[in-house]
Amino acid sequence: MRRNSLAFRLVASAALWCAVLLSLGGFGLSALFGDVVERSFDQRLNVLLEGLVAASEVGEGNALHLAPRLGDPRFEQPLSGWYWQITAWGEGGTRRSPSLWDQRLSAPMLRAGEVLSRDTVGPEGGELRLLARAIGFGDRLYTFVVAGDRSEIAADKRRFNRLLTLFLSVLFAGLLIAIFLQVRFGLEPLRRVGRALAAIRTGRTRRLQGDFPREIEPLAAELNALLDHNEALIERARTHVGNLAHGLKTPLTVLTNEAERHEGPLASLTRRQVEIMRRQVDHHLARARAAATAGVLGARTEVAPVLADLTRTLGKIHGHRGIRVDGGSAPALAFRGARQDLEEMLGNLLDNACKWAAGEVRARAAPDGERLVIEVEDDGPGLPPEQRQAVLERGRRLDERVPGSGLGLAIVADLAELYGGRIELGEAPLGGLRARLTLPAAAAG
Amino acid sequence: MRVLVVEDDEDLARQLGDTLRGAGYAVDLAHDGEDGLHLGDTEPYDAVVLDLGLPVIDGLTVLERWREDGRTMPVLILTARDRWSEKVAGIDAGADDYVTKPFHTEEVLARIRALVRRAAGHASAEISCGPVAIDTRSARATVGGQPVKLTAQEYRLLAYLMHHKDKVVSRTELTEHLYDQDFDRDSNTIEVFVGRLRKKLGVDVIETARGLGYRLRPPLDAA
Repeated sequence: MRRNSLAFRLVASAALWCAVLLSLGGFGLSALFGDVVERSFDQRLNVLLEGLVAASEVGEGNALHLAPRLGDPRFEQPLSGWYWQITAWGEGGTRRSPSLWDQRLSAPMLRAGEVLSRDTVGPEGGELRLLARAIGFGDRLYTFVVAGDRSEIAADKRRFNRLLTLFLSVLFAGLLIAIFLQVRFGLEPLRRVGRALAAIRTGRTRRLQGDFPREIEPLAAELNALLDHNEALIERARTHVGNLAHGLKTPLTVLTNEAERHEGPLASLTRRQVEIMRRQVDHHLARARAAATAGVLGARTEVAPVLADLTRTLGKIHGHRGIRVDGGSAPALAFRGARQDLEEMLGNLLDNACKWAAGEVRARAAPDGERLVIEVEDDGPGLPPEQRQAVLERGRRLDERVPGSGLGLAIVADLAELYGGRIELGEAPLGGLRARLTLPAAAAG
Repeated sequence: MRVLVVEDDEDLARQLGDTLRGAGYAVDLAHDGEDGLHLGDTEPYDAVVLDLGLPVIDGLTVLERWREDGRTMPVLILTARDRWSEKVAGIDAGADDYVTKPFHTEEVLARIRALVRRAAGHASAEISCGPVAIDTRSARATVGGQPVKLTAQEYRLLAYLMHHKDKVVSRTELTEHLYDQDFDRDSNTIEVFVGRLRKKLGVDVIETARGLGYRLRPPLDAA
């Protein structure tokens, strides 16, 4: 999880308040339990004190007698931490539990009815909880004292705190996992949007697809509308450029033909200038269109149908010359760009090959990593290596006898470059020219 | 040989018409799709030059209608270089070839010549019948290798008969294929032309099939 992410913010803030609340709860519970433990210890001491009182009776001469045993064996065991002590006002001395051995508990003498409860230090050095009460027997007043080992309270508290901490930690961990899962589940639609956008960028799909929750639905709809709008704008720009260029083509044809019927400087000037205009129109039409297209998100064109259309058309036109046009594409191969541009590049390559071929033209499209490679070969005379570069340069025409040759390849080179692809000319196994066109492929849809 | 040119730009249509007429074709012009469709459906043309961007009815529809109506004359479409989908659609609709704008009218002429020849089943630009031969590229006729001077009308008549040699061609068919629609058609003029052509050729290749028409065949003694 990256620090700068919605998921991190949600999980971190939830973890913080969980930790604070759980700690507060822990302290509260601990304090409550401590209180309960102390009270119940005091109650036990009180019961023992009552027992001590009940076991005592005043005999002759006001001597205090005790029942032989006082329940708890810890009172017999020396320095066990559990003690009792009875002290009489004035004469009569003090009786002590065997556990006190030769020590005394330091407790003040109490007046009648007084009760004392306090912490003190025992003879063995341990902390004691002490309960004292003054009780009159006969005509004398005695102070009964019972003390218990306070470390039992501390041990209980420690055990409780340990368990509490363990429990709260497990609870905290559980909450963290639950929060994490909840955030993940809650943010999943956003992740889907991200994946859908990636699919558009790589050309797998053209639009944001999928069911999105109510909060994201408007975003997806807006995004799709934006893509539509974008596409419509580009389509409109392309149509305008196309209309302008095509609108110029008929007048240019008329001017060319008229100029060719006449002699003289005006006619030859017109011929030259019209030829320049014609090239400019072709070049800028291709460029403007491609520039509008190369950056479009989501453009995707299947290669196989385009190749099939073009080979069928050119096969029909050149069939009477005995030229066989054969095309094949790997299945599901798609070009990341507009159909019209792929048609233009492939059409010009095939057209050129057909013009020069003796009997066979072959086109093959295959994937090559993130790109696709289309090879167009013919069995014509081919092109010497030193002329191959020249033919790809704009406006160069190698053979005036075959109309349109040269310029077509230059347009292919321009378009391919705008799409970040390239074209290479070489020698075909069939004997003629081989054009190898490399273009960006769209990911499989 | 009679050709229909359907092109909405009148200057271009005129230029195409002039070039084709200069090469010995009878030419009709139409400036919109409706006119073109009608002419193509009713007149017997040997070839058609069809622009795809036409007013009223677009060229593609015109072409499709002709083919639906069983018109089989070769059709050359005029289209823009970068509109491959248009070319594909045109060829799929039944066009036989295309020329991309801008073009030289000579390019159109060469394609029309090739289409007419192919439609008649001739592979070469030269067609011969016994000692008589024509070169469709130069619109010249020769007899036994010697050039014969023919008028445009006479050449058209000979070329049509050569393209359909060994078949009987009726007078009406000849009239329809040799003159454009504005010509005053009188089938008697055909007889006059045939008579003049026979005299100029000097060999007996044009046979009269009585009541049916004419047939071009090599003279029996030369066979």
